[in-house]
Amino acid sequence: MPEPILQVRDLTVHFYTYAGIVKAIENVSFDVYKGETFALVGETGCGKSVTSRALTQLIESPGRIVNGEVIYHSEKGPIDLLKLSEEEIREIRGNEIAYIFQDPHASLDPLYTVGYQIAEAIEVHGKVKNIKEGIKKAVDILRAVLIPDPEKRVHNYPHELSGGMKQRIVIGTGIANNPRILIADEPTTALDVTVQAQILDLINSLKEKYHATVILITHNLGVVAETADRVAVMYAGKIVEIGSVEQIFKNPLHPYTKGLLKAVPNPMTKIERLEAIPGTVPNLITPPGGCRFHPRCPYVMEVCKKKVPELVEIEDGHFVACHLY
Amino acid sequence: MAELKKFLIRRILTFVPTIIGVTLIVFLIAYVIPADPAKAWAGGEKASPEAVERIKERYHLNDPWYAQYIFLVKGIATNTLIDPRTSNPVLDDIRDRFPVTFQLAIIAFIFTLIIGIPLGLISALKRNSIVDTIVRIFALIGVSTPVFWLGYLLIFVFFVKFRITNLAGVPPTPATQITHVPIIDALLTGEFTLFKQHLARFWLPGFVLGFMGTGVLARFVRNSFLEAISGDYIEFLKAKGVPKLKIYRHALKNALVPIVTVLGLQFGGLLGGTPITETVFALPGMGSYAIQSIQNLDFPVIVAITFIYALIYVTANLVVDILYAVIDPRVRY
Repeated sequence: MPEPILQVRDLTVHFYTYAGIVKAIENVSFDVYKGETFALVGETGCGKSVTSRALTQLIESPGRIVNGEVIYHSEKGPIDLLKLSEEEIREIRGNEIAYIFQDPHASLDPLYTVGYQIAEAIEVHGKVKNIKEGIKKAVDILRAVLIPDPEKRVHNYPHELSGGMKQRIVIGTGIANNPRILIADEPTTALDVTVQAQILDLINSLKEKYHATVILITHNLGVVAETADRVAVMYAGKIVEIGSVEQIFKNPLHPYTKGLLKAVPNPMTKIERLEAIPGTVPNLITPPGGCRFHPRCPYVMEVCKKKVPELVEIEDGHFVACHLY
Repeated sequence: MAELKKFLIRRILTFVPTIIGVTLIVFLIAYVIPADPAKAWAGGEKASPEAVERIKERYHLNDPWYAQYIFLVKGIATNTLIDPRTSNPVLDDIRDRFPVTFQLAIIAFIFTLIIGIPLGLISALKRNSIVDTIVRIFALIGVSTPVFWLGYLLIFVFFVKFRITNLAGVPPTPATQITHVPIIDALLTGEFTLFKQHLARFWLPGFVLGFMGTGVLARFVRNSFLEAISGDYIEFLKAKGVPKLKIYRHALKNALVPIVTVLGLQFGGLLGGTPITETVFALPGMGSYAIQSIQNLDFPVIVAITFIYALIYVTANLVVDILYAVIDPRVRY
């Protein structure tokens, strides 16, 4: 039995806007095991990023974590991250649980050198005495993320670097404190295709090197097949299916997962022609009752409109939330 | 460094057309006013025709307008232009009055900064709360309060009722002059009683002059800070585990470019406000000198003061441009 490092239970986040309450994610539950790469997939707006940020209370007003538990198995024992005070969670953020954001052009403060920004990440967790010492460490980190000429690059400003280089800096910032969990929120979306593979390789090799657990958020199924061990598929703020990569790609159970896999070239099976899922993503202020996917589902039944399906285990480690099973 | 030098030379060259333009416009306005300055300078209606003629001769008033303008500019450049009212070279008169105005502007600017920036920050941090609304109302009051009204009101409170300030004369300048601004020199040379005297005389007019800018500055600080704090890098800083205060420092630095811009413009605006403030508080500075000159049709002085004001304004803007590059590494000369 693999050992869980993170157990998410019934996580619910609402955004209170003028238009109404946006139920961004509802009752999201999943486990992440030590040392694995766990992928969270789904289309834009399905709540992947909100889920990942809610894990360490990184939800800004007008958003609020309404309900749920995030049990983190730290070296000192399990703690509920959502019950920690602002200062306690700050000590964990960037230290034990670190993030890599989507857009490297926007993630770095344009007015500070990249060395300073990495050094700052180390300094705020008290691992170096001052920024100057941190910059010395930053040189080693730049070397670890394969930036050429690191002694010189630490003194560069973000605008002096390319997108791929900037994302390496962001990754470097993420791993600066040897985190136990690295949450990569669409780390390759804003980059050129040629650079994407390099960045994924880098994340993978760093994961091996530091024995970290990676939570990878992406809408790119190719990336998932390439890097992930287990996958959770999200739709309209809910998890519809969880399983290993083989289970999800070879034996997708949920109609949404099936639709997704038909819409992209499947790396595991041969398909003749790509199909789109009919309909659009629902409005999360007034989500459809019952199963949120029912208006677009080809197998819709009466029960789907009334009852919210629960996640049930169909085969070992393969869960699905669908009335068909 | 070489780039900075080039930039400075280029910018200082652009001063020339700006200043010529400003002084020319002021001169032309004065020129087309249907009045007879020579007669006014000679002593009004009773002046003898010979005296009026001599003055016209001396100030080239019979020449076409461009010749008159060139005469004035040459006179200012060589300091040979004599004020027809005081019989001193115009620039000497200005030099005597400049420190008062500059000192007033500096104190007003400090008031604007120490009130405007904290108010803007508080407003941003407590956005859409009661505090924010109060600051917004304060900003509106600030920009719409006339200087002369606020001036007399505060004179009533602080002079008539409580005697916390005085309104006559100007304290002496310190013996050793370093910057030629008395209050700074007094502080630098350690003459603290003199410093206190200057402060007692200048704080109220400085506050009144600076008050108008505080509201505008507070609004600017608020909006730029809010824009900076909504940046993605701020969220990444949070994800890095950076404490709140340090995050605010990042946001403030990013908000600084628009703030510095508005500060540069406000310093120019302060100079524009000095004539009224100096008149209300009976300060013998450049502003009240300008008012007296206007009342006496004293065109040479008006053009000379315009020249000085324009020079200060463009210099303030040059300082702002240099500050951009200091703040933001993306800005190159």
